[in-house]
Amino acid sequence: MRNIIGTAALCAAMMAAGSAFAFECKRGEASFDKPGGFPERALTMIVPYGPAGGSGQVAAAMAEAVTELTGIPINRDHKPGGSGTVGMTAYMAAPPDGYNVLEHIDDASSAHALDSSMPNPAEDLIPLVVSQVTFSQVYIRTNETRFSDWPSFVEWVKAQNGKATIANVSKEGSMERVTMGFITDASDMKIQQISFDKGAPRYGALLGGQVDALFEQPGDVRNFLDADQFKPILTIFDERPAAFADTPTHREMGMDFDPLLRFRGFYVHADAPTDRVEWLKWAFQRGYCEDSYQAFNESKFMTVIDSYRDTNGAKDLIARSIEQYREVYNAMGLDVK
Amino acid sequence: MIENFLAGSAALFGDPFTIGIFVFGVVGGMLFGAIPGVSMLTLAAILLPFTASLEPAQGVMLFAVIYCTGTYGGAITAILFNIPGSAENAPTAFDGYPMTQKGQSGKAVGAAVLCSAIGGIASALVMMAATEPLANWAIRNIGPPEIFALVFFGLVVASSVGARTIWKGWMSVLIGLLIATIGQDPVGGINRYNFGMTDLAAGIAFIPAILGFFAVSEIFVQAEKKASGKYQAPKVSMTFPSFIELWMHKIAVLRSILVGFFCGILPGIGATLAAFMSYGEAVRWSKNPEEFGKGKLEGVISAETANNAATGAAMIPLLALGLPGGALTAMMVAVFQMHDLQPGPLVFMLSPDLIWIVFAAMFYANLSILIIGVLETKTILNLLKIPFQFLAPLILMLATTGAYIGRGLVLDVMVMFLAGIIGYLLRRSGFSIPAIVLGLILGKIGEQNFAQGMQMVHYDLGTYLSRPICAILIAAGVITLASNIYRAFTSIKTNA
Repeated sequence: MRNIIGTAALCAAMMAAGSAFAFECKRGEASFDKPGGFPERALTMIVPYGPAGGSGQVAAAMAEAVTELTGIPINRDHKPGGSGTVGMTAYMAAPPDGYNVLEHIDDASSAHALDSSMPNPAEDLIPLVVSQVTFSQVYIRTNETRFSDWPSFVEWVKAQNGKATIANVSKEGSMERVTMGFITDASDMKIQQISFDKGAPRYGALLGGQVDALFEQPGDVRNFLDADQFKPILTIFDERPAAFADTPTHREMGMDFDPLLRFRGFYVHADAPTDRVEWLKWAFQRGYCEDSYQAFNESKFMTVIDSYRDTNGAKDLIARSIEQYREVYNAMGLDVK
Repeated sequence: MIENFLAGSAALFGDPFTIGIFVFGVVGGMLFGAIPGVSMLTLAAILLPFTASLEPAQGVMLFAVIYCTGTYGGAITAILFNIPGSAENAPTAFDGYPMTQKGQSGKAVGAAVLCSAIGGIASALVMMAATEPLANWAIRNIGPPEIFALVFFGLVVASSVGARTIWKGWMSVLIGLLIATIGQDPVGGINRYNFGMTDLAAGIAFIPAILGFFAVSEIFVQAEKKASGKYQAPKVSMTFPSFIELWMHKIAVLRSILVGFFCGILPGIGATLAAFMSYGEAVRWSKNPEEFGKGKLEGVISAETANNAATGAAMIPLLALGLPGGALTAMMVAVFQMHDLQPGPLVFMLSPDLIWIVFAAMFYANLSILIIGVLETKTILNLLKIPFQFLAPLILMLATTGAYIGRGLVLDVMVMFLAGIIGYLLRRSGFSIPAIVLGLILGKIGEQNFAQGMQMVHYDLGTYLSRPICAILIAAGVITLASNIYRAFTSIKTNA
């Protein structure tokens, strides 16, 4: 019963937030003249990840919404691998005629921060819209008996002398590894990060007791939260989102660092014709407002905080992320090029 | 359980539109599974947006049916042309294609049809009976160290398949393992052996490598025979395996169901490991292991029973815990979510009707493999009558398309042809192509789980081996390895 009430409250909070964003959305221009007949054929969306993951799903939802709005079909071309670099390289080699768009996540920003020869998503590309922005949390099993909240978790981890474990995607320079670095430094604890590149083994590792905690974004573990199997004990965000009002933030727990956000958005090549870019901006920003896309974002916990950034907002978000990552990489002694 | 199954069956067959979706899934899965390059995943990705307009049960059921029949579909091209439709059908080609060359294509295809159906039906029945307890057992007892141990054991057991000597078998496995290290390392994301090429950072994709090693190298071999006047077209045989032949392999079928089910239940592992492991077990338990890779019916039976047995098993962590076992089951999560549902324990409480329609549909989809498979086989076998000079370019064209279409990278086409040339040269020297592919596919899974396991035990091998299942599998692997080496030395002395 507690679970059902909790879930209902969570959904109500999310729906309220979602409705508010949707209302803002509908005030934009409802139509936009096609510049010189563009587009007169289907668009191609390069997605640097597989169809089943978070990127694949957001790409499908946005493609559907834009097609609903404009009647223009969008073919999704998945090019997974190399933490998004394969898809990015393929996109940069595609004709910059506006017919090719790119879906990408914050990994593109961190890759550029580490190696400036990689495309800068705010300069070499034009963000059409960032349609998902989310924060991370640390989760434990709901039936965990060794600790129950963040202070008791930290105390327990310290007692293990570095033998406690947390599952995440801890690739070199990733948002997860950098954030965990912030957390362990600020909490003065050592914890072994276990890198799982796929969600299912990562979540299974926590469920089955193979690891002690999990670092993840709420939308990805929503079914475990709804089923009362996972419990968030720390929100890595500046304030408590209404949907997680009972979970303390890292700042409340005495950790003074700016949270790195996970964001997913859509881009077009910076050399694409300006009038076509304007049409694409309208289509994707309005696509975000379509009911089908809003419903999708709600199902993914993406309305808990403001997930929407227009082109300028996205550029700010990317620029800040790159700066932040670069500072961290330098402090970590990584070879920043 | 029986009442629920009957209710699910009634719901499935009580509505003409639902029946239409079921039939579409059965036929679509078989077709997309059979064409190299495209796969059941391609079909699923195309259909994903359309499932939003279906009832939740229809959407999930469609994907479940595609999963069952798509896993079987690739067996036909693997047997007839040495072109596995997907990675889980690769072990089927190890013995299936040599059987075709020996004029036993009907027997191989018949066994694949029957065993796919048996494996799938058996796992569907276990899935219906014990989804929740099995899923909970698996996630509590099987972690990265156990999966690595399983892979190690599988590599040791199957290392000698198709090689002229055990040493060449192991060299072949090591070549496969070496190829598997190309690309980003699975834990730290550090680039290895990509020589600055971005596309190589993603590693060598399985499908182009499999197409090259199997299909392209085979065309080179046959072309050489044709040029030297030694080519003999495979005889078209419509003879299915007799009941007695199949009954003689009952133990292999049972073993393969167990292995397939065990591998399928592990989140993120699925049918590919199941088929390879089962094939390896068949070799290990055989009195004549040297016959594998040369056209042994048991090889086809083991691989095809296991990969379909893994389909029902893979649904267990998905439905009971919300943990998809592979890409297709991950897409099923998206189908659930499109309808405001979440797979996991709650779905059993909130949507029992949906669950039982899916269970029933998977049962009947596996049964359909048997019926449609038998009907289609007689037609498909006639493809072998196409003369080599027409068939070879057709296969090359199909393989090239298949290699490119997966990721849209020219690199993959280059990898396919390079693998074809290397495969051709290595085959002439007595190396084993199946063992290379085994190393390539299991190497990636094994490395990732070894690294994760070592992190979990804080790089302490003692702790690693203190996990009982892990210790047993590694000990069994070491004993098998030692016994193989002993046999190899004994054989050298005997020959001397």
